[in-house]
Amino acid sequence: MKLNKLAIVMTMLLPGISQAAEINGQALNQNGQPLAKAEIEIESLNVSVTADDNGYFSLPSVNACEYVLHIHAPGYAHLHETIEVSDNSSEQLAFRLERSPIEVIDVIAAPMHMSIMESASPVNVLGGETLRRQQAATLGDTLEKLPGVQSNFHGNVASTPIIRGLSGPRVLIAQNGLDVSDVSRVGPDHSVASEASTSQQIEVLRGPATLFYGSGAIGGVVNVVDGRVPSDNDTRGEWLLETDSVNNQKLGSFNITTGAGDLGVYADGYWRESDDYDTPVAPDVDEPDAARSVENSAEESNGFTVGASYLLDDGYVGIAVEQFNREYGIPGHTHGHEESSDDEHDHEHTEAEEEQVFADLEQTKVQLLGELSVNSNWLSSISFRAGYTDYEHAEIEEGVVGTLFENTTSEVRIELMHTPLADWQGGLSLHYKKSEVAAQGEEAFTPPSDAEMVALALMEERHFGDFLVQLGARVERVTLDAPEVLLPQLSAHDHDEAAEDVHDHDHDHEAESSVTRVFNVAQEFTPVSLSAGVVWDFTPGYNAAISVSRAQRAPSASELLSFGPHIGTSTYEVGALFALSGNEDSALSLSSSAIDLETSNNIDLTLRKISGDVGFVFNAFYNQVDNYYYQVNTGLFAESGHDHGDEEESEEHDHSDELPVYLFRAADAILHGFEAQVAWQVTDEFKAQFFSDYVRARLKDGGDLPRTPPLRVGTQLSYQTESLSAHLDITHYAKQDRIDASETVTDGYTLVDAFVAYDFNVMSQDMSVYLKGTNLTDEEARVHTSFLKDIAPRPGRSVGVGLRGYF
Amino acid sequence: MNTQTKLTFLAAAISSVLLTGCGDAETTIVELPPIEEEHDHDEGEEHNHDEYEIDSAGRLSVTDADSNALAIFDLDDNSLLDTFSLTHSGSALTHSADYRFAVVTSRANDLVEFIDGGLWREDHVEHLHDYEEAPAYSDFTLAGSRPTHVDGHDSQLAVFYDGDADSGIPASVQVVTDTDIAAETAEVNTLTFNVNMHGVAKPVDDMLIASVRRDDSETTSANPILPDSVGIYHRHDGDYEQEQLFAGECPDLHGAALNDEHVVFGCSDGVLVLHAHDEEYESLKVDNIDELNGMRIGTVYAHHDVETFIGIASQHGGGSAVLTAIDPELGEMEAIDWEPETNAHPVSYGFSFDGEHFLILDDLGYLSVLSAHEHDDHAHWELEERLDISDADLSLMPEGGAFSMTIAQNAAEVYVADPIAQHVLVIDLESGETTGDIELDFVPSAVTWLGIAEAH
Repeated sequence: MKLNKLAIVMTMLLPGISQAAEINGQALNQNGQPLAKAEIEIESLNVSVTADDNGYFSLPSVNACEYVLHIHAPGYAHLHETIEVSDNSSEQLAFRLERSPIEVIDVIAAPMHMSIMESASPVNVLGGETLRRQQAATLGDTLEKLPGVQSNFHGNVASTPIIRGLSGPRVLIAQNGLDVSDVSRVGPDHSVASEASTSQQIEVLRGPATLFYGSGAIGGVVNVVDGRVPSDNDTRGEWLLETDSVNNQKLGSFNITTGAGDLGVYADGYWRESDDYDTPVAPDVDEPDAARSVENSAEESNGFTVGASYLLDDGYVGIAVEQFNREYGIPGHTHGHEESSDDEHDHEHTEAEEEQVFADLEQTKVQLLGELSVNSNWLSSISFRAGYTDYEHAEIEEGVVGTLFENTTSEVRIELMHTPLADWQGGLSLHYKKSEVAAQGEEAFTPPSDAEMVALALMEERHFGDFLVQLGARVERVTLDAPEVLLPQLSAHDHDEAAEDVHDHDHDHEAESSVTRVFNVAQEFTPVSLSAGVVWDFTPGYNAAISVSRAQRAPSASELLSFGPHIGTSTYEVGALFALSGNEDSALSLSSSAIDLETSNNIDLTLRKISGDVGFVFNAFYNQVDNYYYQVNTGLFAESGHDHGDEEESEEHDHSDELPVYLFRAADAILHGFEAQVAWQVTDEFKAQFFSDYVRARLKDGGDLPRTPPLRVGTQLSYQTESLSAHLDITHYAKQDRIDASETVTDGYTLVDAFVAYDFNVMSQDMSVYLKGTNLTDEEARVHTSFLKDIAPRPGRSVGVGLRGYF
Repeated sequence: MNTQTKLTFLAAAISSVLLTGCGDAETTIVELPPIEEEHDHDEGEEHNHDEYEIDSAGRLSVTDADSNALAIFDLDDNSLLDTFSLTHSGSALTHSADYRFAVVTSRANDLVEFIDGGLWREDHVEHLHDYEEAPAYSDFTLAGSRPTHVDGHDSQLAVFYDGDADSGIPASVQVVTDTDIAAETAEVNTLTFNVNMHGVAKPVDDMLIASVRRDDSETTSANPILPDSVGIYHRHDGDYEQEQLFAGECPDLHGAALNDEHVVFGCSDGVLVLHAHDEEYESLKVDNIDELNGMRIGTVYAHHDVETFIGIASQHGGGSAVLTAIDPELGEMEAIDWEPETNAHPVSYGFSFDGEHFLILDDLGYLSVLSAHEHDDHAHWELEERLDISDADLSLMPEGGAFSMTIAQNAAEVYVADPIAQHVLVIDLESGETTGDIELDFVPSAVTWLGIAEAH
């Protein structure tokens, strides 16, 4: 029925028959000088050309009509210009681009305009030189210099981006637009299965992005983009060799794109190895005399991707396979059974047996990507993405797999972009994803579950004079099936009570049988997200934007179904399906309250200066989240289940093997804050940038949310000539004293980083040799958002040298 | 083509999308039959362990005083499992480091043989795996000149070959684990000295702490065949290299024992205590005390759960023995009054498996059980009880025969062989009762317990 109507409407929209014409023009800079290598596209037709060295370009024959040209070049503000093409015109047009001190890179393959300067909702794209300069071994650390993004720094071996105070199951990590499909969303010690050193750009959508990515993206999205399925076959590539002193890191990476005829070929690879990293002070605050390095923070990873595509006249389709391997120590993930110190004889044994846990992560990812311009009456292009990932992550203790996490995900996403409809541009997105997640072993705190999602989304935008209106809606059906959810009879206890009847407690455990209740849990959610935004070019060179959205998220399996020790967070996690019972036999039982969707109501305000010698972007947001799932400390303790073999000889009740029980529950939360970014191109060579971000995260009924990033202010001074560039970054992290009851105040700190590069040419290859220094003042920096705050500060002073080449 | 129509369509499309659902959430929970489990231990995980673990009292090897036979008994039902003919008679009997093998040393014939007791444990990392098989003669042997002191520690067995001055064969040490023996390893870790000596060596991980005989012109020993120094050796590719030497600090060295913290050597003027500190050993000398009556400590006993070492001074020719408690931490030595019966001469000593008791078996057929008591922060060893384990007429003791004992490593039990009654008694140390009697059809000369020792 609907389709019929659509067909009828589309038929009515058929453009009239017109003659072909050519658009010729020249791209110029603010001084009227030709702008070489500018990109010119007609978005509605999905065609683009690159200007020659003198800025001249010519677009192939088009029908006489009105078109919007999108012209952009690195370092310049993007220009949208509406032109009227009449029959047989051969007019020479001139387009003048204004300088933009803030780097503007478009989000790739988005159904609507997405860039730091143009969209209604805030976006960052880290690409090019800046990406290479800021890339780190882990994703959170790579992105942490972006306004609004901080890292949950996990001892240099794992980190995940925190976007406006939200992370975990609220921030979706994607690779080329498809879920990265690892287990990094459920544990801070789980590394993200994506590599920055081979990527082309990393896109960050701040604030609700469920519209594009669904349930997992209520707090934002990080999309790591690379060219694994090439859309052309121009031969190009880059390689890099780097070494850093603080952890003796060695990194080598490359990527290459080439091809012949209709075939495009791509390959990339990287190899990195690092030792335990050094710290300015002893890492553990409780052991100030210990060695100044974080034990078990070494890492070794490598990956290799090959891709090939078939290039068509009006698109491409291709497939790529990636193998990703990573082995890293998990600092602080020691399962200590500390024995009483009187027992000196056992001591030697105990120390020798203290296990270092390391993670061995392996992922195989197959992606099928394609894009096709369609010369149909109502469809302008189709983009197609499908992925299959097989992920396995073993946590190994004493040479044995302690816990094995597996995630098998299949995903398909099809975007159908229509031809302009009453000047509305946009399209329909169909999205399907199925994940089977399982964990076995000691840390298998979440039962195996299958999650399936089907979604339909519509995104549209239209220019109304000085206004750009962006609208979107998405509806999803999410099912979560867990056939075997376990509710063990947890004799969790209060430490005060237990102290008196220690023996009783032990006997309860040993003598009696225990009953584990089993449930088959099936859940079905229908989250709906709506978003509306307006960008107003109120005066040349400036714009203001407002974006309002209502986004919904289905809670994740770990938030609902968990029941067990989670060593990465040192808590015993219990999902929202359960509640305290007040019953003596078992402290926890099934919750009687309904499981509801989490709903974010977000408003975003943006003011930008998009061109000129000074550019800025100011964002303010207010996000009210209803049914925000978070963990509360129940005050109970439960066995971690981490005894290894030998029974404790002492009768003493050993608390070191117990974890506090944290229960997921939902309550309304409010997050608000701002991001500010100012850049001033002082001279052609010298640029000064300033940024700041802040988020306040609290519960509506009072109380702060834990691990909220502190206020930050930072500057970056850069100097750039043809062959020499230098950057000095100073970032101050303020003290965080808005804390949850389980946390302590974290002191502020200032980090100073510097980077100097010299570009040269050897055998017609562009090369760049660079020297970089991080944390130059060797400051003790404890990261408030880190679960390892008190045992693993940031690395101390490090000096790195590297060599890069491009061709 | 008019704008109105198109906007209407757009609105309709959006609202139709919205109408398909509006933030629904539905949870269906079906309870399934629960899982019930009995908890023998705290952890469910340990159930798996039990699948692979064997609960056995162990096995007993007994040598025949009149032949080259060695019998192995099953201690679960005290039945004879098998009898083996050793290459030589009159050999000494002990056990391998992890109690799997009976070790038979024929000093006179330069040969060390091994009999597999058939009970052992392997660490399969995810669980401990126990094996129970029939006893078997091992093809593995060690050969060297005058193997004398054979001593296990920390899963390694050190065989000290005294060497032979007459034929110019220097002393040497070979170190083997139970795994080496079972695998009949071709590469045995060996330390060879450049002179013969009546010495001793103790393995500690990849270190070997061994006596060193210096040149006769330098030695502080009254009897130059006894070493007077101690060397710390480190293993590299199967050979031991000397890292430290405590030269001349222990004249007439004889007897050594170690626990996890200290190594104690008997010397003519006291005992030498070595203590590892930051991978370096430090020495401490404890002088002889007056109560020794001019005798010297020639045998030392230790248990890894017990801080105190027990040193024994006895006269050659069967005089009475003086026992001393040595506190290596404080560098003190004190006599233990074990209230011996008149004319009782100890024939065997040892700590019980848990270190709670120190046992003295004497030639009158008494088993003295000592235990430690805390006084003024000192552990004082005192006689707790004395068990009379033989009512036989001692004059019937065969020529050259003696009572002998072996201590179980998985229970508070001791096995005492009685050559007169031709049996082995099982004595429970907790109750002081004789709980079993293994009849023999031969005169026992030595006994050794084999099996799976309780982990510490």
